[in-house]
Amino acid sequence: MSNFTRTIFERINNSQSGKGARLNNKRQQRILLFVLVGLMLVFPLLPFITNYWIDVGFFVGIYVLLGLSLNIVLGEVGLFNLGQAGFYAIGAYTTGILFTQLNIPIVLLLPISALVSGGFAYLVTTRIIHLKGDYLCIVTIGIGEIIRIVANNNPFGLTNGPNGITGIGNPDFGLFSISTPTQFFYYVWIIVALVIAGLINLQKSRIGRAWNYIREDEIAAETNGIDVRHYKLVAFLIGTALAGVAGNIYGSKMMIISPENFTFMESCLIFVIVLLGGLGSIPGTILGAAIVVIFPEIFRQFASYRLLFFGAAMVVMMVFRPGGILPRRREKAGFSGLGVSNLPADEDKYIENVVARGLVFKRAAAPAQAARPVSVLADKEYKVLETQHVTIRFGGLVAVDKFDLNVREGEITSLIGPNGAGKTTLFNGITGIYPPSEGRIIFMGEDITSLKPHQIISRGIARTFQNIRLFPSLTCIENVMSSPHYHATAGAWASIFRTPRQKKEEQSILETAAYWLYQIGLWEYRNELAKNLPYGKQKLLEIARALASSPRLLILDEPSSGLNDKETEELMEFLSKLKAEGFTLLLIEHDMNVVMGISDTVIVMDMGAKIAEDVPSKIYNNPKVIEAYLGKDE
Amino acid sequence: MEMFSEQLINGLTIGSFYALVAMGYTMVYGVMKLINFAHGDLFTLGAYVGYTLLVIGSGWATATFGVWGGVILAVVGAMISVGLAGLVLEKVAYNPVYKAGRLPLVVSALGASIFISNGIMAAWGPRFQAYPQAGIPVGSLPLFGDVRITYVKLATILVSLALMALMYYVIEKTIFGAAVRASALDKDTATLMGIDFKKIVRFVFFVGPALGALAGVFAGLNYSRIIFNLGWTYGLKAFTASILGGIGNIPGAMLGGLLLGVMEALFEGYVSGAWKNVFVFVILIVILIVRPTGLIGEKIAEKV
Amino acid sequence: MAVLLSVENLTVAYGAVEALKGISLEIQEGHVVAVLGANGAGKTTLLKAISGLVPIKDGKIHLRGEDLSQHLAYQLAAMGVVHIPEGRRVFSTLSVEENLNLGSYSIRKTTPRQELKKSMDWVFELFPRLEERKKQLAGTLSGGEQQMLAIGRGLVARPKILLLDEPSLGLAPILVQEIFQVIRQIHEEECVTILLVEQNARKALGIADYGYILEIGRIAIQDTAAALRENEQVRAAYLGGGHVQGAAS
Repeated sequence: MSNFTRTIFERINNSQSGKGARLNNKRQQRILLFVLVGLMLVFPLLPFITNYWIDVGFFVGIYVLLGLSLNIVLGEVGLFNLGQAGFYAIGAYTTGILFTQLNIPIVLLLPISALVSGGFAYLVTTRIIHLKGDYLCIVTIGIGEIIRIVANNNPFGLTNGPNGITGIGNPDFGLFSISTPTQFFYYVWIIVALVIAGLINLQKSRIGRAWNYIREDEIAAETNGIDVRHYKLVAFLIGTALAGVAGNIYGSKMMIISPENFTFMESCLIFVIVLLGGLGSIPGTILGAAIVVIFPEIFRQFASYRLLFFGAAMVVMMVFRPGGILPRRREKAGFSGLGVSNLPADEDKYIENVVARGLVFKRAAAPAQAARPVSVLADKEYKVLETQHVTIRFGGLVAVDKFDLNVREGEITSLIGPNGAGKTTLFNGITGIYPPSEGRIIFMGEDITSLKPHQIISRGIARTFQNIRLFPSLTCIENVMSSPHYHATAGAWASIFRTPRQKKEEQSILETAAYWLYQIGLWEYRNELAKNLPYGKQKLLEIARALASSPRLLILDEPSSGLNDKETEELMEFLSKLKAEGFTLLLIEHDMNVVMGISDTVIVMDMGAKIAEDVPSKIYNNPKVIEAYLGKDE
Repeated sequence: MEMFSEQLINGLTIGSFYALVAMGYTMVYGVMKLINFAHGDLFTLGAYVGYTLLVIGSGWATATFGVWGGVILAVVGAMISVGLAGLVLEKVAYNPVYKAGRLPLVVSALGASIFISNGIMAAWGPRFQAYPQAGIPVGSLPLFGDVRITYVKLATILVSLALMALMYYVIEKTIFGAAVRASALDKDTATLMGIDFKKIVRFVFFVGPALGALAGVFAGLNYSRIIFNLGWTYGLKAFTASILGGIGNIPGAMLGGLLLGVMEALFEGYVSGAWKNVFVFVILIVILIVRPTGLIGEKIAEKV
Repeated sequence: MAVLLSVENLTVAYGAVEALKGISLEIQEGHVVAVLGANGAGKTTLLKAISGLVPIKDGKIHLRGEDLSQHLAYQLAAMGVVHIPEGRRVFSTLSVEENLNLGSYSIRKTTPRQELKKSMDWVFELFPRLEERKKQLAGTLSGGEQQMLAIGRGLVARPKILLLDEPSLGLAPILVQEIFQVIRQIHEEECVTILLVEQNARKALGIADYGYILEIGRIAIQDTAAALRENEQVRAAYLGGGHVQGAAS
């Protein structure tokens, strides 16, 4: 592997100068942050600031909360939710009803509102979370409208219909209560600050990354061990609970709430805040909220035209800057953006240590191996993967026909065959993307036929895709950090509070990713966005990502396609090296030089069925194979 | 029985609006894979243009061609001008954003929706406007028993059915319609057949809004009062109708629209008026869970 | 014989990847020319570039001296460039008849009705099964029938040059036989010029006059089909055993 990386240290040394600029930039950012926080602190105390403007500041805070709440769902996970006002309403109405009917203190109702709102969202979204883009968008609009109409119709006399609920009290902390505009200003912004601190921790954790993987490519996320459905629901739960918090604060400030506060227009505004600022960007969301609240205040005299301008601005913005005003710049943040603590300042020292220490996550031993002497590294007779009569049908079309595939431990097995033979479909069957219509798939003695893709990688099968499925707008290191995800266990709470165990897990994930990124020779690209890599490097990155899951079996779909001769040679060398280290590989490959050069066994597939299986030297002269490839002699 | 017949007539009337608007949604979605959020507001624009044409033209047109002449003038004028507005909308708000992806397109559509509805408010004012009494045909036709149908309602249903039949013919029976459907299925292969995709786009962005405008004018004639954000509920329900029928599918939009209108009217008559919109949205959610392809849609597998 | 289609120094790139790296070829009027090569060699890209589906980065494509890049993709069908794409791509929810009618969409206004009907009858003569299933939705046809429909849909456009992309893809051997029989028939009966992209080298060279072997975006070998049939390097290009070298001319 050393020739992969020989030149890298030289290149790294050359790039040192850029790092100084980055640090300087960071210092400037910190100063800017201090100035802004300082301004926020003294804002209500300034002599020329009237109560009116303090209230405007309060509402900016409320909309920051709402923007952040939607940002989790829309910005981080990429789910179109145009019904956020509904969940905001649930928080406000929970507060209003429980305070006026049962006199529960407002402060106590803050977490309760969050729970009710989040819990309700969880219940309704479990059935619709699988819907794609526009469909989900329409359903959330429907849910938002249903909530508003229900409030308007005064069920059981609870919501008081169109007039709304009046007489909601102020937050009372016993010793003091929040009532003046200044107090409310500080109250909401302290909560905003706490929420932001928690969200930043979430963003820089396996949870936040899992959300981003889903946004970038759902299928790639799922095959790399992310339980897509689960993480979407978690995002909805946290996002809507935050909207509930905003509802509680809004209700206690206004003391009156009515259905008119929670229209579709309100959902649109929250949506726009996120988009205006930039998807997944916390500073962007704050700026977006500030614009949406303050802009109409400044143009009050044009009240009737302001939404007209607003609509036009949305269109113009999407035409000229679809990414938002302050998009999240991952490539600029570097390793410090990953949220792993105790990182050495010098990233190259770090990788030296990592490589010296070796792998963090070890491959699981095969059950059959446990009983064997340790000295046996790979048992050539042990079948790691076995497909028994696997058939995959699409409608009437049989893509894979009663296929028996055996992959022996420590070998490189190549699957070849003409275009349309069903090779990729078989891979998709093995990795759970298209469950087989018939037959069984046995991996290391376990029947994995009906497992989902994210479970299959955790059993030890990792794969790459024919047409590259990376997470394009994430950095290379973040891409590779996806597949060790399943090794860790920290949930949302552990991530928000950064428990010692969570920190350790994050370090291990980064170490594993860094190790493989280095081994495959892409360390110098660690902070580049994946989409900016040349094609050949993207293919390598995908292999590194698969390897970082510490797989027992590595499945590569046409690893050499699109590579030039030199890259192909390097790839062959790397794959041989993996084999020497004890990895088992299964390839689909079209470059016969690769197939013949490194395979132990070649299996030929045509029309969904196996037509030959042999060692490479004999496959070459097999008449059936020649016929499948070149056609029959006339 | 009387209640049933009346609600059936009301349902068919409102269902006609949904069907006409749903056709616009479904055509644009089929060809562009875009939910045109501004479509409901083009419906409103149609209602307002029709209103203005009736106000300024009613004296002259009514005097010359009678009250129905004025109505025809308003309908045709609204359809042409809103169809042109649809073309402008595509050119300004959608065409430059296609490459940026799905999300910016949704935002641009929302922005266009807000712009149009507030533009209407700026031009015609924020309050309800009433269609001029002199311009609305009066009278009704006895059906059976005490059940009567007003001429306006009768015209609404008949004109809508006629236009649906025409659209059905154009889309399902002509070679041009086949070209539209082919473009929706596979743009590249359609191009290989010599089909100009841009022309298809212009077609759906003219005809869809024009049909919406027709519904808008008839909504004004039926209920008299119009307001700048009228199109929002109609738009959302029409979209529900197109999902009910199977989005991207013209006969589905017609069937879904009429069915939704009748269900809504019967629910209003027999259960509750205040809860009818909740009923409609629950239908929407249930369909998407149980049968996301709609009543007559087909499943499209995602290729990995 | 005159040159019908000429491609000069054609380069096509998808983002940073160059799929075609400056290839040149000529097709004589009335010839069948086969383009062969492994997956990823750029065969499909070549056809897409000719029919205007992918933008060209460099180079020229001329049809009887007319520069095709001066025209939009949808205008090429009317000029006689008819591309039958890989994977059949029939309009699945349209009937067989509608699919065929769309095939002649580009020329329906400039061609007399009888002429159109004549081509349609010819297609039905070539593929009687299509006539039987006229009213059926194309998506309900079998793979072989869909391929016939795709070819028939191309033929009704009365092509000057037919670009055929992998007509045998995923078909059972018996159907492959049938499809190639039809291609031969099309060529012999109507003297249609054909540019045939195939994986099935022997079959393709069996009916072609001339052939090109592509390797990662370049022309590796070109020769008469008869010569290529005997060429060991062709076999090597498909089945490995050493890179083909020095054969590009």
